[in-house]
Amino acid sequence: MTVELVVERLKAGYPAGSANKSEPARLAVRGVDLTIAAGQVVAIVGPNGCGKSTLLRAMARLHQPHTGTVQVGGDDIWQLRQRQAAHRISLLPQSPQAPEAVTVAGLVRYGRHPHQGLFRQWSREDERAVRAALTATGVTDLADRRLDQLSGGQRQRCWLAMVLAQETPVVLLDEPTSALDLGHAVEVLELVREVAAAGRTVVMVLHDLTSAARYADVIVAMCEGTVVAYGPPREVVDAALVRQLYGVPADILAAPGDGSPVVVPRSRAAVPAHEGPDAARAAEQQPGRHDSSRDAEQDQPARTGAAGTGEATAKEATLPTG
Amino acid sequence: MTDRATHPAPATPEPAPAPEAAQPAPATGRATASPRADFGSVAPSDSIVLRTGTLSWLLPYRAALVSLGLSAVIAVIVALATLASSTGMSVRASLNGLLGTGDPLTVMLVQDFRLPRIVVGLLVGAALGIAGCLTQTLAGNRLATPDVIGVNEGATAAVVASVVGSSTAMVGDWWLGPLGAAGAAALVVLCAGGAGTRGYRVLVVGIGVSTVIGAVSDLVMSRQNDNTAGGVFLWSVGSLSGRDYGVGEPLALCLLVLVPLALVAGRRLSVLRFDDDMAAALGLNVPLLRGLTLALAVALAGVAVGIGGPITFVALASPIIATQLYGPTRVPIVGSALAGAALVAASDALGRVVAPVEIPVGVVTSVLGGPFLLWVLFGGSSSRKA
Repeated sequence: MTVELVVERLKAGYPAGSANKSEPARLAVRGVDLTIAAGQVVAIVGPNGCGKSTLLRAMARLHQPHTGTVQVGGDDIWQLRQRQAAHRISLLPQSPQAPEAVTVAGLVRYGRHPHQGLFRQWSREDERAVRAALTATGVTDLADRRLDQLSGGQRQRCWLAMVLAQETPVVLLDEPTSALDLGHAVEVLELVREVAAAGRTVVMVLHDLTSAARYADVIVAMCEGTVVAYGPPREVVDAALVRQLYGVPADILAAPGDGSPVVVPRSRAAVPAHEGPDAARAAEQQPGRHDSSRDAEQDQPARTGAAGTGEATAKEATLPTG
Repeated sequence: MTDRATHPAPATPEPAPAPEAAQPAPATGRATASPRADFGSVAPSDSIVLRTGTLSWLLPYRAALVSLGLSAVIAVIVALATLASSTGMSVRASLNGLLGTGDPLTVMLVQDFRLPRIVVGLLVGAALGIAGCLTQTLAGNRLATPDVIGVNEGATAAVVASVVGSSTAMVGDWWLGPLGAAGAAALVVLCAGGAGTRGYRVLVVGIGVSTVIGAVSDLVMSRQNDNTAGGVFLWSVGSLSGRDYGVGEPLALCLLVLVPLALVAGRRLSVLRFDDDMAAALGLNVPLLRGLTLALAVALAGVAVGIGGPITFVALASPIIATQLYGPTRVPIVGSALAGAALVAASDALGRVVAPVEIPVGVVTSVLGGPFLLWVLFGGSSSRKA
C-alpha cells in the first residue's frame, strides 16, 4: 500500500490572547502522528474541543502548526505555496459560504481554480474534471440550477462535487454530515466511500461514532489534543473508548451483516429520558435532524432525476478496485 | 422520502471498498472517463472557450457586449457634454470649437477647458468605480466603499491641510491625495486589527476614522479666511472645475498601471467571495491578496480624490450598477470602471449646464446618490439579484 498522508509530531494551538502572542497558551493538538495509506477513509472522532478540527485545519494548511509536518506524497504542505498545496489537498469546511447567485456548475468550476491561470483559464482537463465530479456526485441534472435554491442534501453533494473537481489525492471533510438528516448523511458517506474507492484518501471529522465506524477504514479517536485510539473501527471502538471520549456509558452492538460496531448510549434508568446531562449528550450524537422535513419537500422533483446518475456511478466507481 | 429508496445503499455496506456493491452495475466501467453523453458543455455559458495547445482562455462575450453598450453610452455622454454649454454657446459653435475651425476663444473654451475636463472626469470616475468594486468585494459588503471607510476623507484631509502650508492658498498637488488615503487606510487597518477582517469591522472602524479625519479637515478650513475657505470648500465637495491635462496626464499614467493590476486581481477576487477558509483551500493566499487589493483600492481612490476631490456615491453606485448589468457571478472590474466614468462625466456635465451658476459634480452625485443609497439599504439591489 502506498502511503499518501503522513502527519508527524504535529503540535498546534492558539495564542493566549492579545496580551502575549508569543506564548502558545493552549495547545489544541499536542503531538499527533498519523500515517495514512492511499485510498483509505479516515474518520477523526472525539468530543467537542478535543482538537480534531484544529488537526484538520493544520492538514488543510489553514492553521500554522507550532511544530511538526504534514506530508502529502512526500512533500511537506507547509513548505509548499498555497496554490501547490491546493493541488494536493482539498477541503470542504463545515459550513462553507458560496458566492452569491452561483450555479451548481459554476460552483464546481471553482474547484478547478488552483489548476487555472491567466493563460490556462478553461483547459480540456478542467472540462473533464468538472464533468466527472458532477457525474460522480449525481448532480449533473442540477448543473444549471442555482445553489441557494437547492435543499441541504443536494447542496452538500454539490460542494462535494466542487472538492472532487479539484482532483487532489487527499480530500479533507469537516463534519460533512452534521447538517444533514439520516438519509442525506448516508448518501454523502456512501459517496465518500466511492471517492476512496477511486483511489483518493479521505480524512473527515465526524461526530457520529456509529457512522464513523461503519464508513471509515481507520478511526482516529482524539481526546485533549492527543490520539487515544487509532485503527480499524472493529478493533478500536468499544465501551471504554466511548466512556473515555464522551464520558457516557454505552453498549457496543455488532451491526447485523458486517459486524461493524454500533454505539448505543446507555440511559440511566433513574433519570427520565428528557432530563439530565446524559440525555442532552445522547441527543447530541444524532446531529442534523432539524431541517429534514423541509429538505424532503424540496427534494422530490430534482432528486428523483438525479438518483439514476448517482446509482450508476456508485457502482461504476467501485469497479476498478473490485 | 421515496427518493431515498432509489439510492443503492446496500444492506451490508463494507468498511473497505466494497467490490460486491459493484457487481450488479451495468458494465460500463469507466465512470470518470466517460461522463453521460447527454449533457452539454460545463464551461461557463456566458463565455467562449479559446484553446491553442495547452493554453486556454475564456472570452466572456456577454460581458463584452455589455461593456460595448456602456462604452456607447459613455460616447453619447461625452458628445453631449462637449456640445453642451453653460454660456449659451450654440451647438454649431461648439462643434467648430472642437474641430478648431471656430473663433480662437471658442476653440480655446472647447479644446482647452471643456474637453480636458470631460476626459479627467471619465478617468476619475473609472478610478472611483474600480476602487469601490475592490473594497466592496474585500469586505463582502456593498456599503464598504472608499467613501465610507475613511480613504476619501484621508485624501481630502491631506489636500486640505496642504492649503494651510501653501503661500498661494491654492488647492494643488494631487499626489497628496493618495498619500492621505494611504495614511487613513493604514489607520483603519490598524484599528480594525488587520486587513483580513471581513464584514462590519472595517466598516465600523472606517466610519469612526473618517469622522475624526473629517473633523480635522473642517478644523483646518475653519481657520482660513473666506477666500481660501471658499476655494477649499469647492474642492472638498468634489469638483472638476478647471481640471486640465496637467492633472489628466498623471491620472492616466496611474490608471495605466493600476487598472491592469486590478484586472489580474479580479479573477482571484471572485474566489474571495467564498469564505476565507474555502478560498485558501482553493489555493489563494488570502492575506496577501487582501493586502494587495486594499493597497490597489487605496491608490485608485487616493489618486481620484487628489484630482477630483471626494466625489461621493460613485464608488458605491458603480459596482452595484455594474453587477446589475453584468450579472452577479463575476467581480465587475471593467463594468465598475465604465459605470463610474459614465456617472462622473454625466454628473459633471449636468452640474455645468443645469443651473446658471455651476454646481460641483460632487453635489450632483450626492443629490443623485441619496435616493440610490436608500434603494440599496432597503434591499432593492439584492432583491433583484435573488
